[in-house]
Amino acid sequence: MIESVVDVAQEESVYLPQMAQLLKIEQMTELEKVFTLQLPGGRSLGNDPGQFVEVSLFGIGEAPISVSSSPSRSNGTFELCVRRVGDLTNALHGLEPGDVVGVRGPFGHGFPIEKMRGRDMLFAAGGLGLAPLRSLINQVVDERGAFGRVIVLYGTKHPSEILFKEDLKAWEERDDVEFHMTVDRGDEDWTGNVGVITTLFPEIAINPRNTIAATCGPPIMYRFVLMEMQSKGIPETQIYLSLERRMKCGVGKCGHCQIDQFYCCQDGPVFTYAQIKGLEEAL
Amino acid sequence: MAENGRPKVAFFDFACCEGCQLTVVDSLQTHLELVEAVEIVQFREAMTEKGEDYQIAFIEGSCTREQDEARLREIREQADIVVALGACAHIAGVNAIKNVQPSLQDVREYVYGDKWEQYDSYAARPISAVIEVDAVIPGCPIDRFEFLDVVKKLLLGKKPSVPDYPVCVECKLKENVCILETGGTCLGPITRAGCDAIYPTYGVGCLGCRGLISNPNENAMMDVLEEAGLTVEQLMSKMTMFNAYEPAHIGEAVASPAEE
Amino acid sequence: MSLWVIDKQAMAPFVAKLMDDYRVVGPLAKGSQFAFDEVEDPADLRLDYNTSILPPKKYFQPPEERLMTFRRNGGTTVQPIVEAEPTVILGIHTCDLHAMRVLDEAFTQGYPDAHYTRRRRQAMVVSVECLEPCMEHSFCKSMGTLTADDGYDLHLTDLGAAYAVDVGSDEGKALLERFAEARPAAEADMQQLNKVLGAKWPRFPYKLETEVDELPALMSQSYESPVWEELAEICLACGQCTIVCPTCFCFDVYDEVDLSLQDGERRRRWDSCQLDLFATVAGGENFRESQAARLRHRFMRKGRYLRKKYDALGCVGCGRCARSCPVDISPVNVFNELHQVRA
Ligand SMILES: Cc1cc2nc3c(=O)[nH]c(=O)nc-3n(C[C@H](O)[C@H](O)[C@H](O)COP(=O)(O)OP(=O)(O)OC[C@H]3O[C@@H](n4cnc5c(N)ncnc54)[C@H](O)[C@@H]3O)c2cc1C
Ligand code: SF4
Ligand code: SF4
Ligand code: SF4
Ligand code: SF4
Ligand code: SF4
Ligand code: FES
Repeated sequence: MIESVVDVAQEESVYLPQMAQLLKIEQMTELEKVFTLQLPGGRSLGNDPGQFVEVSLFGIGEAPISVSSSPSRSNGTFELCVRRVGDLTNALHGLEPGDVVGVRGPFGHGFPIEKMRGRDMLFAAGGLGLAPLRSLINQVVDERGAFGRVIVLYGTKHPSEILFKEDLKAWEERDDVEFHMTVDRGDEDWTGNVGVITTLFPEIAINPRNTIAATCGPPIMYRFVLMEMQSKGIPETQIYLSLERRMKCGVGKCGHCQIDQFYCCQDGPVFTYAQIKGLEEAL
Repeated sequence: MAENGRPKVAFFDFACCEGCQLTVVDSLQTHLELVEAVEIVQFREAMTEKGEDYQIAFIEGSCTREQDEARLREIREQADIVVALGACAHIAGVNAIKNVQPSLQDVREYVYGDKWEQYDSYAARPISAVIEVDAVIPGCPIDRFEFLDVVKKLLLGKKPSVPDYPVCVECKLKENVCILETGGTCLGPITRAGCDAIYPTYGVGCLGCRGLISNPNENAMMDVLEEAGLTVEQLMSKMTMFNAYEPAHIGEAVASPAEE
Repeated sequence: MSLWVIDKQAMAPFVAKLMDDYRVVGPLAKGSQFAFDEVEDPADLRLDYNTSILPPKKYFQPPEERLMTFRRNGGTTVQPIVEAEPTVILGIHTCDLHAMRVLDEAFTQGYPDAHYTRRRRQAMVVSVECLEPCMEHSFCKSMGTLTADDGYDLHLTDLGAAYAVDVGSDEGKALLERFAEARPAAEADMQQLNKVLGAKWPRFPYKLETEVDELPALMSQSYESPVWEELAEICLACGQCTIVCPTCFCFDVYDEVDLSLQDGERRRRWDSCQLDLFATVAGGENFRESQAARLRHRFMRKGRYLRKKYDALGCVGCGRCARSCPVDISPVNVFNELHQVRA
């Protein structure tokens, strides 16, 4: 077959990453690091809270990672919190400030902040699920006057796995944020709550009609957290959750992330519970 | 890894025909960059020196006697990464055909004649039955490009994975006329891909030298082969040519039509 | 648009002339079957073929392709590439024309895929009307794909000694004028065309036991059907059914590097939702772990999901999957079974 190779730079391949520089890398727990990145010329990423980017290392591959910094704090950089679990994430953990990685995106539907203003906010994050939620929480905190109550619930397996300690401290210290956290299993220094995240729910009372809930965590957590949220009377259309699926393209083409008729990468990763309730493959 | 950034690599052989090592020797000739990418310290097939300081061990051949076990453990002790090279090391391959013969003793006498007592030999086993294996390069013999691919993955620090989907995928991507559709038999639907469907591409049914995929539907495969007109004996010999080491499901599947 | 006629003797010179300016591909014999391939001698072209092993979608979305090349040393540099060239595709059947609509939607919605659209734009489509059922497995009549009134540049119908040529686009018209010895259809040609087309329909059986427009609803009601488990018993999860399907477009993306580990390319390749690892994420969670769930996903996609997204059914009844399936799982039989179970 004759082959002709055409330069498509002018046509912009959606698969072509931009080159972002790693400005700062912080080891957060044994498995997680936070990376601060900058696009060429300090260009803004332009993400909504809850959106993700496809991170590439050439020769290794790509992986979808949520943007965990808030648009309200971008100053020309953005942050990714990455757990080391496989090829791409291992290689990423081996990089140093100054190194360059490929970035595509931001992709997908994030949290619709315009629908949230004026409402009470209830956040429930489990483990690494704090990464995408942090982006929304800090945005809400930065526009604090525009929201009603702000309640943040956070659960991890063990004190050694607690992420974003500085943010947690800041939320805890504010009078206008109700912050509760728990660990499944404590250690000798742990004085806080022990138990799964659902044990935090009885401590809070809310006005369900005026509350918007946002949750992110491992698949198993959703079932229980959603039950708690519903039992408090929050309507299904006011519960937002972010789903994880295998992803390859991030732009609704490769088919890997499909959940029924939805492409998680485009129609999600943030869905309302009303959208996906009853879809056996969703939860 | 090694001081000069090149990992030290050693090759070892057990019960096998050494065909896979020949493929490696071949790749060293066609891909000279390989010699620059790794430092080979031991390779009976290609050199006389025998370095004992290595990080990656490629092991060819099956474990067929007790002495093999000790040697395998020694290698495991030294190497950071152990790779099973070829069907004999990976799934015991053709060596395991003897495992499914009625008597191992008969096999020994048949192979070694009246000197059988001098040759210690038990049922053939893949090396993973004795030591932990980090990667496999399947095939009888191995595919040169897959070997290079696994080496590159190791050098890049990636999981040295090989495909876990059936030969049919590669076969259809090449738009071959399917052997099952033209009245032949083929184990492609349950055999691990990675050989670029070389047999079906040349019009011959796959014999399963690369081992089975993780979740093969063996019963359905037996039905397909039966429908294509194979007798129970033919089925058995087809399914055990390379995959006799773990014949459990195969045995059951064969047993049922025999009872009818 | 307009109707023309090319005598059969004029076809070979037409194809030969096209070959001077274009890559020309069409159905050629491959063993006992047919495959689209580059035409080297116009005499090899088999417009009388039955369905090709792989659909002509391979010219828009190749089984494997490079998306970009990269160089890792001395600051990463990346060069995006599209492998495309002006191509005339001869002999596409109407079922495959309908399937192309699904792909067109999928690759242009949201973020257009330049790799697909560039190839699509550079291709001229010359389709051909089927006058006899192509094989036992097809059910195009039931799916409404046994003919097409657009989606082609030129469309041929065999009139015996000549082909009627329906012009479907300006580009098609130009192609005809520049390369073919064609004449406008006369009254007698039209009569012959009417006769041929009128005679064709009764030759095709209607195999679906329900209406095609009913399919999305049928699929909705069949989510919990026991049929999925029954099929999973015999399905080998070999992936052939999706690879040969003209409306399947899922792919995998991976990097390949040379031994220096410096230069490489990012590639993509057709993937299949029938394979174990398709929906598995790091940590081992598999969102469609059982073959029953994977089969259901495939049929839901064919009968419902794609219709919702792209306003076109994901099955055009070409029968390729049924022909390839080692255990004879055929969509029309599955749809009928679901219909019977429901009824
Ligand atoms: C919308 C979204 C947001 C995410 N946000 C984060 C985050 O903020 N931090 C974080 O650490 N992780 C996040 N993940 C999970 C992360 O994408 C996977 O851990 C990562 O893809 C694993 O890639 P790997 O190459 O290291 O692992 P391997 O197991 O070597 O994966 C190989 C390939 O499989 C695919 N794959 C494997 N696991 C996943 C997965 N879980 N999701 C999608 N594709 C997968 C990818 O294409 C990957 O390149 C997110 C996933 C999704 C879908
Ligand atoms: S020839 Fe064998 S490997 Fe190829 S498609 Fe047919 S069954 Fe599968
Ligand atoms: S076709 Fe089958 S027998 Fe042949 S090399 Fe491939 S896996 Fe081995
Ligand atoms: S071709 Fe048949 S056996 Fe293979 S995956 Fe498809 S339905 Fe299953
Ligand atoms: S599902 Fe089967 S019959 Fe339908 S379009 Fe695909 S290959 Fe053709
Ligand atoms: S399925 Fe119908 S339209 Fe398609 S090739 Fe066969 S007869 Fe023609
Ligand atoms: S990641 Fe490819 S379709 Fe969603």
